[in-house]
Amino acid sequence: MYKNGKYRETDKMSDLICENYPMVLVMSRFGIALGFGEKNIGEVCRQNGVDACTFLTVVNFLTEDVTTPVTDLNKCLSIDALITYLHNAHDYFLNFRLPHLRRKLLEAITECPKDVAFVIQQFFDEYAEEVHKHMSYEEKVVFPYVRGLLAGKKDPKYNISIFRKRHDQIEMKIVELKNILIKYYPGPGSNLLNSVLFDIFATEQDLASHNHVEDYLFMPAILALEKTIN
Amino acid sequence: MSTTLKIVIAEPSAIVRNGLETILKRLPGGLRVQFSEITTIESLTEDLRTYRPDILIINPSIPGYFTIPHLKEMTGCPNMKCVAMLYAPIDHSLIRYYDDHINILDSPDEIGLKLERLHAKSEEDGDGDEQQTLSAREKEIVVCVVKGMTNREIADRLFLSTHTVITHRRNIARKLQVHSASALTVYAIVNKLVELSDINKA
Repeated sequence: MYKNGKYRETDKMSDLICENYPMVLVMSRFGIALGFGEKNIGEVCRQNGVDACTFLTVVNFLTEDVTTPVTDLNKCLSIDALITYLHNAHDYFLNFRLPHLRRKLLEAITECPKDVAFVIQQFFDEYAEEVHKHMSYEEKVVFPYVRGLLAGKKDPKYNISIFRKRHDQIEMKIVELKNILIKYYPGPGSNLLNSVLFDIFATEQDLASHNHVEDYLFMPAILALEKTIN
Repeated sequence: MSTTLKIVIAEPSAIVRNGLETILKRLPGGLRVQFSEITTIESLTEDLRTYRPDILIINPSIPGYFTIPHLKEMTGCPNMKCVAMLYAPIDHSLIRYYDDHINILDSPDEIGLKLERLHAKSEEDGDGDEQQTLSAREKEIVVCVVKGMTNREIADRLFLSTHTVITHRRNIARKLQVHSASALTVYAIVNKLVELSDINKA
């Protein structure tokens, strides 16, 4: 099962991934590829030009199931690296995960009545559009604001609490799709459809943990940063 | 019927807290549990007020002053069941206000039985187990929502008040666990409540 306690720079990268396979996504969002051999986390990070402290902060945050906002942030955390991580995660969802899921879903429901297939597709497209809006707000408003803060400039018209208030749970609607497929899907069952269902479960989990990082790690870090600039 | 039981554990010892949580998570039967932990009495009332648990498991010797009837009243959770977590035998009068108690040496099965008993009791207090399928009226409302009608329009069409329409919609959302109009559309098509052509016209 999962390891207890926090991961450190001296732990092997391969151990981290084997014990916690969702971390493979974290790694790749930090720009680290597979094939790192026997090296430890610190070495792999340095070799890839990744801030090891930020990487470990995210990894430990996700593996420890943190349920309250992190207020005692390590000073070595690089907000710049955290933004890159979040940005890459957005890119992954919008340009890979959702389109991939859509293709697979449409293929899986070809056997079911046309009208049902039509509304399911419509539902998915609306959902993808919502995720798009949600994430592009962060890309276009929140990240530039934070980059300004890092450069020492504070936008008088904006603060991170505005984001905190409007930040919604983006995974809720995909839960609805899952519920409908499970309870009411009218066509014959198929291995492909089951596989789509597994993908939806994984996507839901992944989106929830992405949001979790934003709410409980990123947001407190920005609140603290705001206090240092007047 | 699968129900989720919201449980708050107010217990100063991390060992006992985590142990209890592990046992509750592994309980057999249809109980699904959601947890929240409280380690000090200061945040207790506030947390109970926001969290509104079905069951509160609390160590009577947790530092700080409180009484069970007062706690139920203060937090606006009169139906919350309070279970005392006991490490040692205790005078019965000290725990008379509790609905039940768990002893540190109780087996997981005993704990499970106690919780199920409490849960059954609170079911009786409430409306009892309700139907999870939609009533005919609710189905009519689904059809209207899917066609894009506003609450006002639905009320006029079905001779109801908008208030009633809103209540129906809330019940529909709870029963189906579906909240958006677009998810409702999928539901309506799949269950043949409407035709695709009805929706596109709207």
